[in-house]
Amino acid sequence: MTEQEIFDKVAAILEDRFDLDKTKITNDLNFKNDLEADSIDIVEFVIELEDTFGAEIPDEDAEKIQTVGDAVNYIKEHMITKE
Amino acid sequence: MKIAIDAMGGDNAPQAIIAGVQRARDEFDDTTFLVFGDEAQIKPLLTDNTRIEIHHTTEVITGEDEPVKSIRRKKQASMVLAAQAVKDGTADAFFSCGNTGAVLASGIFIVGRIKQIARPGLMPTLPTINTDDGFNLLDAGANASSKAEYLYQYGRMGGFYAEDVRGIKNPRIGLLNNGTEYDKGDDIHKEAYQLLKADKAINFIGNVEATNILNGPADVVVTDGFTGNAVLKTIEGTASAMMHILKHNLLESGLKVKIGAGLSKNAFKKVQAKFDTARYGGAVLIGVKAPVVKAHGASDERSVYYAMKQIHEMVAKKTVAKVITYFSSSKTDSK
Repeated sequence: MTEQEIFDKVAAILEDRFDLDKTKITNDLNFKNDLEADSIDIVEFVIELEDTFGAEIPDEDAEKIQTVGDAVNYIKEHMITKE
Repeated sequence: MKIAIDAMGGDNAPQAIIAGVQRARDEFDDTTFLVFGDEAQIKPLLTDNTRIEIHHTTEVITGEDEPVKSIRRKKQASMVLAAQAVKDGTADAFFSCGNTGAVLASGIFIVGRIKQIARPGLMPTLPTINTDDGFNLLDAGANASSKAEYLYQYGRMGGFYAEDVRGIKNPRIGLLNNGTEYDKGDDIHKEAYQLLKADKAINFIGNVEATNILNGPADVVVTDGFTGNAVLKTIEGTASAMMHILKHNLLESGLKVKIGAGLSKNAFKKVQAKFDTARYGGAVLIGVKAPVVKAHGASDERSVYYAMKQIHEMVAKKTVAKVITYFSSSKTDSK
């Protein structure tokens, strides 16, 4: 899976979950600062990432995922994707 | 209909769970009970396995487990697999007497939040002094912080439940506040008051005070999770303390008082019956995609039976579907 494909999947999750316009989703988008996501929003997002990409994200890693770019990079580096 | 049951949660599991489920099975012939837990412990407890399916599980979430972490890591736990059965569409509802935080996490993260509901709320039914109707309190502690929009949604959802499950027509919705005047409370409560008042489809009666809620001024009392949890525990604690003081004084007093106590036995039994909340079922996590009910950790067979009855009613009346339909078609913003 290419970086762009990962980005598109992450963007689709965020688009649905936060009712976002796709054009506003960039790598710099910060979950807490830009989306006002709280702990429940973030856990829901992380669980959906795990379901979508088929692997587990340990809590200590999940805490470091703060932007869309962080999520895409994490998946690219760590995940065995469901092809 | 199918109800997924965590048979391993609670102080009296799995005995009380299985006994309550069997009693419910005998009453509801349209229902199959999917029981998740240790087959070796459950099987000997079943006197009749008609419409009871055992799903063997190898892990248990304990009272000491951290809620979110445990549901994400103990994938083979009875609680997790029961909630998963609802997510997968195998079951219509999920029940547990286990770790409250983990049940809430299972409801929110596995069964899943209704998209338009900002934050699901925990909703027990509590007794009222002058009638047997009781009242719903929500949020009783699913969320530590709140927004006005959450409180408005609690009012709406509590109303659907009171009407469907408790059979109250046009239920009265009250906002718990530090005074009855419309401008009482902090900014969140002032804003919530206006949101509830603006919805002409609900019977919003304004602010209610904690001192009065057991008199039943409202059928649904809306509050933020922090306050709701404190109120719930204060009611439980005060009732328990009063009974303790009364009992202590009667036993420690002279013969005349003891005779008087003996003569008043029926009145004491009525007081006890009034505070017996098992007949209302468990606390509902409302705002998730299917009925999720958490009963007290010390639940006995009777409490489990009433929780099954409550779930049966919620599924039969399609209460959750009504919440989804309402919020999908309204312009309510979930944030």
